[in-house]
Amino acid sequence: MAGALALQSGPLPDWTAVSPALILALTGLLLFVIDSIDSDSDNTVLLAGLSTVGSLFAFGVAGWFLVEGTGQAATGGAISLYGDALVVDGMSLFFTLIFTIVAAMVCIASLDYVAEQRHQAEFFSLVLFAATGMTLMSMSNSLATAFISLELASLPSYALVAYLKDNRGSVEAALKYFLIGALSSAVFAFGISLVYAATGSLLLSDIASSLGDADGMTGILGMGVLMLLGGFAFKTASVPFHFWAPEAYEGAPAPISAFLSSASKAAGFAIAFRVFVEAFPLGQLPAGVDWVLAFQVLAVVTMTLGNFAAATQENVKRMLAYSSIGHAGYALIGLAALTAGGPNANVLGASMAHLLVYGFMNTGAFLFIALVEYWGVGTTFEDYNGLGARAPMACVAMSVFMFSLAGLPPFGGFFSKYVLFYSAIEAGFWWLAAVGAVNSALSLFYYSRVVKAMWIEDAAPTLELGSKPVGLYTAVIFAAVGTLLLLPAFQPVIETAQTVATALF
Amino acid sequence: MAGIFDFVPAIVLLPFVSFLVALAVGNRMPKGGAFAGIVATAGSFLLSLATFFTVSQGQTYNQTIYTWAQGLDGAVTLEFGLLIDPLSALMLVIVTLIALLVHIFSLGYMNDEGETGLPRYYAGLGLFTASMLGFVVADNLLMAFMFFELVGLCSYLLIGFWFREPGPPSAAKKAFLVTRFGDYFFLVGVVAVFATFGTAAFAGSESFPHLAEQALAGETSVNTFGFAAETWFTIVGLLVLGGVVGKSAQFPLHTWLPDAMEGPTPVSALIHAATMVAAGVYLVARMYGFYALSPTALAIIALIGGFTALFAATMGVVKREIKQVLAYSTISQYGYMMLGLGGGGYVAATFHLMTHAFFKALLFLGAGSVIIAMHHNENMWDMGGLKEKMPVTYYTFLSGSLALAGIFPFAGFWSKDEVLYETLIHGLGGSPILLVAYAMGLLAVFFTGFYTFRMVFLTFHGKPRSQTARDPHGVRWNVKGPLAVLGVLAATTGVVNMVPVEKLLGIKGIDFLHQWLDMSLDGLTAHHYAELTPYSSAYIGGEATTVAIGAAVSLGLAIAGAGLAYVLYNVPEPTEHTDKLGGIKTLLYNNYYQDEYQVWLANSVVRPISRGADKFDQGVVDGVVNGVSSVSLFSGSRVRRIQTGVVSNYAALLTLGLTVLLLGFGLLGGWFQ
Amino acid sequence: MVPPEYYLVLSAAIFCIGLFGILTRRNALLFLMSVELMLNAANINLVAFSYVWGNVTGQTFALFTMALAAAEVAIGLGIIMVLYRNFGGVDVTDATTMRW
Repeated sequence: MAGALALQSGPLPDWTAVSPALILALTGLLLFVIDSIDSDSDNTVLLAGLSTVGSLFAFGVAGWFLVEGTGQAATGGAISLYGDALVVDGMSLFFTLIFTIVAAMVCIASLDYVAEQRHQAEFFSLVLFAATGMTLMSMSNSLATAFISLELASLPSYALVAYLKDNRGSVEAALKYFLIGALSSAVFAFGISLVYAATGSLLLSDIASSLGDADGMTGILGMGVLMLLGGFAFKTASVPFHFWAPEAYEGAPAPISAFLSSASKAAGFAIAFRVFVEAFPLGQLPAGVDWVLAFQVLAVVTMTLGNFAAATQENVKRMLAYSSIGHAGYALIGLAALTAGGPNANVLGASMAHLLVYGFMNTGAFLFIALVEYWGVGTTFEDYNGLGARAPMACVAMSVFMFSLAGLPPFGGFFSKYVLFYSAIEAGFWWLAAVGAVNSALSLFYYSRVVKAMWIEDAAPTLELGSKPVGLYTAVIFAAVGTLLLLPAFQPVIETAQTVATALF
Repeated sequence: MAGIFDFVPAIVLLPFVSFLVALAVGNRMPKGGAFAGIVATAGSFLLSLATFFTVSQGQTYNQTIYTWAQGLDGAVTLEFGLLIDPLSALMLVIVTLIALLVHIFSLGYMNDEGETGLPRYYAGLGLFTASMLGFVVADNLLMAFMFFELVGLCSYLLIGFWFREPGPPSAAKKAFLVTRFGDYFFLVGVVAVFATFGTAAFAGSESFPHLAEQALAGETSVNTFGFAAETWFTIVGLLVLGGVVGKSAQFPLHTWLPDAMEGPTPVSALIHAATMVAAGVYLVARMYGFYALSPTALAIIALIGGFTALFAATMGVVKREIKQVLAYSTISQYGYMMLGLGGGGYVAATFHLMTHAFFKALLFLGAGSVIIAMHHNENMWDMGGLKEKMPVTYYTFLSGSLALAGIFPFAGFWSKDEVLYETLIHGLGGSPILLVAYAMGLLAVFFTGFYTFRMVFLTFHGKPRSQTARDPHGVRWNVKGPLAVLGVLAATTGVVNMVPVEKLLGIKGIDFLHQWLDMSLDGLTAHHYAELTPYSSAYIGGEATTVAIGAAVSLGLAIAGAGLAYVLYNVPEPTEHTDKLGGIKTLLYNNYYQDEYQVWLANSVVRPISRGADKFDQGVVDGVVNGVSSVSLFSGSRVRRIQTGVVSNYAALLTLGLTVLLLGFGLLGGWFQ
Repeated sequence: MVPPEYYLVLSAAIFCIGLFGILTRRNALLFLMSVELMLNAANINLVAFSYVWGNVTGQTFALFTMALAAAEVAIGLGIIMVLYRNFGGVDVTDATTMRW
């Protein structure tokens, strides 16, 4: 149990295992307190600093738990809390690391981005509440908590996308995100009700054990499972629930786009991994509820649609939005390449490791967009011409993100994609890996367009950049360093991911 | 402790610095940067001598100095390092000495003749020397390969020095491309060595020759890619040999070398005596421990060598230009070295490499002197009677010619005799293939004697056959000095290894070169190689008898050849006796149509294949690639149209997608039954 | 006792009515109401099968769903407010500046 997590004299009580989520929530509440004392606080440094520190603290605690083996087999297995509604294990801690580090980068970057806006305290507290929701998503062990935490992550996100209240793009993005989100959550809730109808339980383990009794209800169960899948597909921006994503990412403030496309997507995967693996284990499924096949279809369609649509974009942010859909397709391989008795932990772990690397490179790329928006440079590829000469450091970082997203060595994205495809082949799904590889090759085309514009094309004579914002630069450079370091550090990452994934099976 | 070995990198770097100096400020220096090169090579020469003496005290040096790619987890590590043993120390002295003399001679040949572009010339010489020295001290195959390629590049730059004329650029290209053709195999060989052994080091217990030896003895296992170990080592050895055949101008990749005569004569001297062509043979000697393990590879080396020796010698018989004769003699002499290596005579081949370096440099510089005197007319039929006009050149040239022809007691006699002797006794010891190679080598001795003295008599004897020959241009100290040094060396270097004298007269301990090469690191000694080679020895009568017979036969053939030349050409007004050969002369003159058949091969075989490949590439591959990308972009532009911007449509499409999924899986899973 | 299949049919019908509303109505408020209808379809299932299975999990979760629906409406109304301010109406098909 949690006792082994420290060299202290007495073991920590079990409830402390959720402390990353508690820290995030308390930081958010603290920001609310500041807001209610000084409702128009524009002390951005305090607000951004507090939220960054809170995120990093949660990151540190989660990392400490993970290193000490909290909730893992070595210390007595997963810690169940609140009548098994929440569970803290290696996987939830691993995903918590992704959410918190992305949240920290987003908070630092927002220091400059929201400096001129009103209601800054709300902005940061909403980010932290959303991060709390994501952390809880990764811990959910029941469909009830899954739904509630998913909503807890979604509702602040809608508000955050609409944060630029006077910007038509921001509002339109929020509207579409919200409407599709509401529809998806209705579908998700209906799916939960159908699964409950078929099995009589909402706890994942109980659902798994009563699958065998659901004989006459296979159709109900199958529909429920597909509708659950729809709810997760919305969160991960997978086809056909992806329609909100290009607009929401394009219209939202760029740091929020980074947050949604990295952390929120990872949260969707975290809960999808746990729900499908725990509640509907492959060996015990009644015939006719073949969710692996559904994920295979979704993975192929998602990565293909995302990459093909990204290839023809003129707007860099929208291109990244579609590329984010494409990456959701890659990560779906983690669920699509599962077989009863196959090397499932390897596949799932590879997908988790890819999401971690993706957290760095994609967040960095969107934050670079935030930087460009801050400078007031346009949004198309042509507007990026010659940026490399004006802001070389940031552009080197952007080039690192682009090549890493494309999966080129020597960046973190190379190994994560390589291991992901390799594990798919190992599991016998060579065609999934082949589709992924073809899509990666296509993606190189549009990623390199950005690099080409920045470094090779000549700048428009009117191109003038303003000051160099400290917060955005810090976040972008941090993400670039992370992307680079994840190449040599990939071995421990993938080992951890595959170890914690083993506990699920 | 700062020993002399700490200064070894300076031997390589000094000429490199002179290259930089000549390139950067050569225009503002007197003599176009010549003195920088002379000082640098002189410094290298002195350091090499010091190294040589240190090695003679029994010290060797094998040290990695720079790791430029650190292999992780069993991957290979790529390094630069130094290997100084008797072989490389000897080679260092030879290369630096000849480079120094060539630099001095260039003062007479290039500066005094008022050439332009001298900084470029001296920069090229400096880089050429530096590359060769780097190659000599390399402690692993990859480093050797890199410097090997640099040597090739420099030869390209120098052969094409007179790039405004039509001949030199084309000759330079040919030299570059033909040697590059061989180098492809070399490169594949390097990769194969890395893949097999995980290392490319030449010396030490972790070196690839040692590992190969252990693998054959079953003490260790290496990745031989499914072949038997010996077969695979033969394949790897032959791949590396591809580079050797190209660089050392062995059949069938020798065709670049006669063309390379288009370059300045001092460059030819450097290429033929000490650098480029020597690099190939030196490489085989360097990794002899590897070749010695494979009887097949050795036999092939010996056959190539023997055949090239004879083949090139016959072509040298009919040439009109003095440098052409020398070019074919070079090919032929390197054939002897290959013959020696293939025949198990590691020491003999090294010996011949050394003596040849001296007498061939001498002959080229002598030819250069003649060419200066003849106002750059190289046709021997326009010469004659130069003996009285330029005595220093004549006597030194004669010394070199006697050495080349292998006349007792000049240097070439001893080394060539030992090559033939080693091949003979190993051939008699049960390797009939070696006897075939030996026969070819022996026959070549006759032709060598003939063409050498034909050249001497046509050039220096008889009556002048042209106006320039009657009134030749004088040459200065900077030409005569190097000639004198080399003339003495060509006459006397034979004493370092008088094996026949030792065997016949029973004087022990005068086979200095044998002892010298035995002082090397473990596993690189001449004795070790002798044990590794698959040959045993047999004698006609006794050892002494065999030595006597072998020496007598080769000396006799050389004298016969020289005598025939004397009869035919040492007359006041010689005629073109070779015309009597009729069709054979044409065949010989056209080099057995070697160029023609290779051009034919290139034109009629390779070009259609290339054209086909090009068509395939342009039509099919490019078509597919272009097609895929335009299809991708087109479908991309279609796919994005789904995103209409109207949220109601999104909801409809979402519902549609979900419905399709539900229906599809419902039908598949039989939910509706 | 009413057989459980009937509840399923009822909830499916309500779900489809909600979905129909979403697909046909352009007014954002009606869109929101339709979503409420779909969520309530889920609630019907939860409550009914809570009775069928004999545990209170479904009923409790239905309460949570209602609370979440209310929260969702709160956020949704806020977004509709700013939509009205920026686009001068509550027609969801007006906001189409970003597409493709």
